[in-house]
Amino acid sequence: MRIVLFCLLISVFPAAAHALIVQQEMRPGITAGAEYLIGERSKPAVLLLHGFLQTRDFPTVATLARGLQDAGYPVLVPTLSLNIPNRAQSLACEAVHRHSLDDDVAEIGRWVGWLKSQGHHSIVLVGHSFGSLQLLAYLSLKPDAAVKAYIGASLIEAQIGTTERPALIAQLEERVRGKQRALVNQTLSFCGKYPSTPEGLLSYVHWDQTRLLTALKHSPVGVKLIMGSADNMLEVGWIKALLNMRTPMAIVKGASHFMDGAHEFDLLDHTLRHLETIKAPLSR
Amino acid sequence: MKWPASISIKQIALAFIAGLLVLVSLTGYFAAYQTRAVTNSLAQHNRSAAQSELAAAVQRLLSQTEEQAINLAHWDETRQQLVLPEYYTYWRDQRVYESGMLNSRFARAALYAQSGMLLAPSPANNSFPARLPPFQASSWLVNEAGAIALYYAFPVYDNEQRQALLGHGLIKLDFMPALLQQEVLHFSDTSSVSLALKPGEILAAQELFSRLSFSAHPDLNQLRFQTILSRTLLGLFVLLAATTLLGFLAYDRLLMRPLGQLSQDIDAMQHGRFNPNPPRSPALRISELENIRRSLHDYQLQLRELHGSMENQNREFHSQARQDALTGCHNRRAYEEDWDDFRKKLETSPQGVAFLLFDCDRFKTINDTYGHAKGDRVLSIIADALVMALRANDRLYRLGGDEFATFLSRTTPAQAKQVAQRCQSLIDAAGFTELGIVEPVGLSIGIAFCAADQLEHIDELPKQADIAMYTAKQPGRNRIALYGEDTERASQTLVASRETSALFQALAAPGMIEMHYQAIHGLPGRQVDYYEALARIRYHGDLMLPEAFLPVVSSRRLETEFDMAVLHQVDADLSSGLLPTGAGISVNLSAQSISRPEVVSHLLELSRHGARHPLMLEITETSLITQMVEVSTYLELLRTVNYRIAMDDFGTGYSPLRYLVDLPVDVVKFDISLVNKLGKDNRAGQVVADFARMMSEAGYSLVAEGVETETVLCKVESLGIAHAQGYLLGRPVPLAELAASLARVPAPNALPDAGSSVLARTPDGKNDPQAVEKRDQESQQTKQGQAE
Repeated sequence: MRIVLFCLLISVFPAAAHALIVQQEMRPGITAGAEYLIGERSKPAVLLLHGFLQTRDFPTVATLARGLQDAGYPVLVPTLSLNIPNRAQSLACEAVHRHSLDDDVAEIGRWVGWLKSQGHHSIVLVGHSFGSLQLLAYLSLKPDAAVKAYIGASLIEAQIGTTERPALIAQLEERVRGKQRALVNQTLSFCGKYPSTPEGLLSYVHWDQTRLLTALKHSPVGVKLIMGSADNMLEVGWIKALLNMRTPMAIVKGASHFMDGAHEFDLLDHTLRHLETIKAPLSR
Repeated sequence: MKWPASISIKQIALAFIAGLLVLVSLTGYFAAYQTRAVTNSLAQHNRSAAQSELAAAVQRLLSQTEEQAINLAHWDETRQQLVLPEYYTYWRDQRVYESGMLNSRFARAALYAQSGMLLAPSPANNSFPARLPPFQASSWLVNEAGAIALYYAFPVYDNEQRQALLGHGLIKLDFMPALLQQEVLHFSDTSSVSLALKPGEILAAQELFSRLSFSAHPDLNQLRFQTILSRTLLGLFVLLAATTLLGFLAYDRLLMRPLGQLSQDIDAMQHGRFNPNPPRSPALRISELENIRRSLHDYQLQLRELHGSMENQNREFHSQARQDALTGCHNRRAYEEDWDDFRKKLETSPQGVAFLLFDCDRFKTINDTYGHAKGDRVLSIIADALVMALRANDRLYRLGGDEFATFLSRTTPAQAKQVAQRCQSLIDAAGFTELGIVEPVGLSIGIAFCAADQLEHIDELPKQADIAMYTAKQPGRNRIALYGEDTERASQTLVASRETSALFQALAAPGMIEMHYQAIHGLPGRQVDYYEALARIRYHGDLMLPEAFLPVVSSRRLETEFDMAVLHQVDADLSSGLLPTGAGISVNLSAQSISRPEVVSHLLELSRHGARHPLMLEITETSLITQMVEVSTYLELLRTVNYRIAMDDFGTGYSPLRYLVDLPVDVVKFDISLVNKLGKDNRAGQVVADFARMMSEAGYSLVAEGVETETVLCKVESLGIAHAQGYLLGRPVPLAELAASLARVPAPNALPDAGSSVLARTPDGKNDPQAVEKRDQESQQTKQGQAE
């Protein structure tokens, strides 16, 4: 795998002087980028993943990344390509979605690998919203051993609206089997109209709440959830379900799904508090 | 440039109006010129604004297109399509619009692979080049089947650092609709905007504006301003024109017409055409003109009175001037005027016309016998009778003496004769006996008629009537003669005769008259004293004697013309020099001619020969002299230029004794009839002898004519008659023969003795004072003796 590293030193801002833009060609013609915030080598590196169709520049994510860097943690904030070369903008719901959860998980693996290549052997995966789901999907497969912990903020399943998930899954599977390439317009997450390939959509639709709970229960690393008490994007009873599963979880009172405003600090505090509980990485 | 001497008030008014109109027109033209300048400036400004806004719109469109191109180039989904173009058509036909990347319905986008090939074929209704055109500029325009398309090409790189070129994008814009749909074109007329681009022609976008044509929207405010100004000017002009018209009408009514009327009245008065009954014209509104009108009216009234008075006087003068004082009928002037008017009237109203000429028979005898007073009374009675005899509308004219005339309109020869007969009947019935006149007073009437279809001969009527009248006077006539009918026979003798032809030709060609000269011998010596010039007419080689042509002269009343011809010939003979100096010449002259100024004038001219040839005038037919005073005056005048005056044919009816007394006569020629009496030893011979002796003693120089016998000659000599003439002593001979004979005879015998000649004159042209004195003394003695 060829890794192309671009280091752009921006001298104007002192903070920027500790950041790198990293790009990797995830698939032929598809290059994805990430920002690497240099931290203390003694602290575990944080791989912070944005939410559904967002980028690393999403405010909640960007703020959290800066806060973690300020706390001395090296932070890698990738932007999933979603099969778009050098994607830099949040992808519109109505855009052609050629990506799948498998692609996302693969890219997460690539970024974990990149951190390892940078000497980080203690990696904590932190995700927000759908990014928490994607990281959990990564953990459900064969996560790298360097991954030590998982923090999911505003974890949410792949919502499909009012559509019956089994029927949809069956339909999509039928299309996949039939190699039908026509785009499927389906509600997904907050997108009421989400044109996607059948296999791409199918990869997401499988991740309902049950799948999430299962993944959480079987997570190979420690799990910590940070949920907003005022997250109205969640299905009713989701937090309760998580609590019933005795999933370690911090609930930020009054916080919405995006933990915006003052709740960004709450998110940071809970994240830092959990990171501090993680054993420092062993030196090589 | 010549200015008129004076101009009318109307011309002044018209000139003022014309000047006013010119001034208004110039002002209007100036205003229109200024308006047009402002309008042009505004239009130019409007066009500049339109140009600016159109340029801005074009620039804005290009910028928007460029911005869209940049956005597309940096759009993630654009890069996605260049890498994974499976759903390119979805992106092309839907995503670019949903996402707002292309926000215009006139814009289309297409992507080309790195190789330049179109990712997917474009739809038929919106085709893109299958291969990216190798055009240098990033944007260009193409005329595609009449539609102008703006293309904007842009590269698409893999990231912001442009490390790798993924492909190209191309935006196609329906240029004209996209340009014109912008709501920023306020000054440009969108319907006029066009781009001059040939089909298939490619134009770089930066050259776009040079091909763009447009026109500016008319500025509504400017149009409104123009309309208001035009209406204002038009209204002003109409108002001024109406005011001018009303002013002119008022000016015309108040000033021009009254002044023109006053001027016409004054002109009419100046040329004597003033209205004798001037209407009472209405009062004028201008006080000064009203004063003038009143003054003029009063003046007209005064003039009317004066005019009436003068008209009455003129009528009276006119009547008197046209009236014969003696008879009360119209005089010769009236005749001439009426005759001229009548002839002019005939030109438009052809009709039969008769001309009647009246002449009283033997009036001179009556006049001589009963005196002028009764003669005048006779004329009055004749005139009254003729007026009564004529028709109501006929006028009687007294032409002179006892000659009257009239002309009858719408008549026939028969009617004219009836009128003439009525005239004669009334004359015959007139009471001349009451005047003590016992002789019958007759009237000869000559009538000439001209039919309506022969009016070209109307001028000949008086002459024809004259001829007819003389025909009527001939013995045996019934005293009424119609020319052409009653003069037919006379015309054969008078008009168509050989003598008449000879006479008229001789008058026309003076050379035909030859003068023959008969010697008059002094007694008792019987020497030639002078010669009497006797006229002959050489006609076709024959010599025509006076007995043949003198009646024609008399009947034709050609005495004056004939005498003038004779005088011309005598003048020529005397001027020829054939007659020796001292040869006296006696010339016959009719009594009618001596009162004609042209004859007297010629005689005065002839008197230039008096120095070489003593001259004598022999007056014939003295009884026909009617104007005794004038004739005496003329004869006295001629005597002053050394003419001697002889009374010819004394003793006949043509030479009454009275005329011998009244006229300045030097010589008395005894008629041959008297001379022949001398040869008879009877009482008549004794009377003639005594009378001759008495005449001689009275101082008259006597000449005995027609002496043909020795007996008569001896008797003449015994009576102391100074001269004798006759065939016994010598016949008339032509000038050449006389000259030849004089040349053969020695001068003392041939030439008259100037000193003893009866033609002898004193140096101052008077008669021999001794002879005159002697004649006067003897006359006085005779009268005394007769008285005793």
